[in-house]
Amino acid sequence: MIRIFRDLLLFFWRDLSIARTYRAVFVVEAVEALFGSAMFYYVARFVDTPELQHSLPQGGSYFAFSLVGFVFLDYLNAALDTFDHSLEEARDSGTLEHLLVTQTSLPVFLVGSAIYPFVATTLRIVVYVAWGAALFGFPLHAANWLAVLAVLLVTLLAFSGLGILSASYLLLFKKGNPAKWFFLGVSSVTAGMLFPVGILPDWLQFVARLNPVAYALDAMRASLLGGVGVAGLWRSLAILLLFAGVLLPLSMSVFAWSLRRTKITGTLTHS
Amino acid sequence: MSSHSRHAISFLVPQAAISVESLAKLFPPARTGWRAFLQPFEKITAVALDGLSFEVHEGEALALLGANGAGKSTLLRILATLLVPTRGHALVAGHDTVRQSREVRRQLGYHAGTDHGFYPRLTARENLLFFGQLNQLSRSAATQRISQLAEQFHLGESLNRQVRTLSTGTVQRLSLARALLHRPRVLLLDEPTRSLDAIAAAEFRRFLKTEIMRDGHTSLLFASHTLPEVELLADRVAVIDAGRLLACDTPSALKQTTGTSSLEDVFLRLTGHDVSTVHGNPAV
Repeated sequence: MIRIFRDLLLFFWRDLSIARTYRAVFVVEAVEALFGSAMFYYVARFVDTPELQHSLPQGGSYFAFSLVGFVFLDYLNAALDTFDHSLEEARDSGTLEHLLVTQTSLPVFLVGSAIYPFVATTLRIVVYVAWGAALFGFPLHAANWLAVLAVLLVTLLAFSGLGILSASYLLLFKKGNPAKWFFLGVSSVTAGMLFPVGILPDWLQFVARLNPVAYALDAMRASLLGGVGVAGLWRSLAILLLFAGVLLPLSMSVFAWSLRRTKITGTLTHS
Repeated sequence: MSSHSRHAISFLVPQAAISVESLAKLFPPARTGWRAFLQPFEKITAVALDGLSFEVHEGEALALLGANGAGKSTLLRILATLLVPTRGHALVAGHDTVRQSREVRRQLGYHAGTDHGFYPRLTARENLLFFGQLNQLSRSAATQRISQLAEQFHLGESLNRQVRTLSTGTVQRLSLARALLHRPRVLLLDEPTRSLDAIAAAEFRRFLKTEIMRDGHTSLLFASHTLPEVELLADRVAVIDAGRLLACDTPSALKQTTGTSSLEDVFLRLTGHDVSTVHGNPAV
């Protein structure tokens, strides 16, 4: 167990060390977050009406509603993108083969490569929300931080399985991320990222009820804007955990099979 | 003979560092266009290795000699657990490369000839520390070992520079140092002195011969096109052509068997190439 933890930290240290060599990126991302927050604030000022605010789940401003939807999309994107992106980078830089001949196990390599991107995405979200709170009145007073953390963690677990499936696809077919395309596409309409699910036609609301992203986003808004605690979110958290429980082992098996297939076909390093 | 008897005998007979038995490897044919999409599921029909069998004993250096595409790198990649053989078995220190790949990797130091696989924005030292620790060296043990190898490979000044700023030859030396970091029992080197200048290549050969192989426990399997290197390092030479093993013996025995005086002639004779044709003059 200690060895696994140490190896995971090694991957984090590797990615942090590489990121530190691109220092300007941190500044650029902070400025980008400022403009992003400002954009949502002014869009909200343009469209906000008492009726609109009343129709939002937590009854707050459209600015808070849409900013949470947007940063959550960033998080979902990271979960779907990180694994195949790390794999693609390792393949193209030639480090993949050298990692696979070390004594590190495959799951440790996959999870380890995802830690830094998740931490970086979390920090980016913090910066977005911090700008929103400092300059545009994003309401943080009601947030239940323990519940926010729980929702983030469970969301990562739930959607990492899809990310690992994307990595398996990349191993076999070398390019593309259909899981990301499908999930982000469907979720942009049915998850309630920028508008409440309630305005959708019935059949799309039915799709939304099948989409775990909608449950994750509801839970995030409820904990961050509505101050709902872990106990009050049990249903959403249970659905996400169930999703993770099915998808994570399945995706690891598919990845192991895909890796073995590339070792048979000799295409491990092909791009 | 019963399995019990075989088991008892295996304790008496020294275990081979590498044992390859009837090893065959086939790949799917290369596809382009829309058919490339089906390649992962294509039938494997292109022969890369065709029933190889040989052993490398503990403390022995065996060279793989063959033309480009003969199957040398495929063989090394199977032993490094990066490819799965189609038929036959490959054992490293008694462990099967497919069923016990983790145990195999514990014994291995691998240097790929084609790409060096480092993180270009990390320093040479950071890269070595990362790979050393993934091979279960503690940070202090890795640091100490890096200092030793840096001295041996003249990497001192380069250790604190980002890999992207290093010359090809220096990255090659770094890659060799990485293969040796965790003192592996079995070394697999694919064209180890490619990209090295004459002095660095000579120093590396001397280092392998006097420092690494001297203990009598480390075994070396390497592919090389540099015949003087093969002659200097190898206890035995395996000549491979089109995935088949043509001969495997000591350099002097190979010369004697083929009635030739150099490894080059041995190779040309065994593979059926005419020397005069190779040099552009048709045989008279």
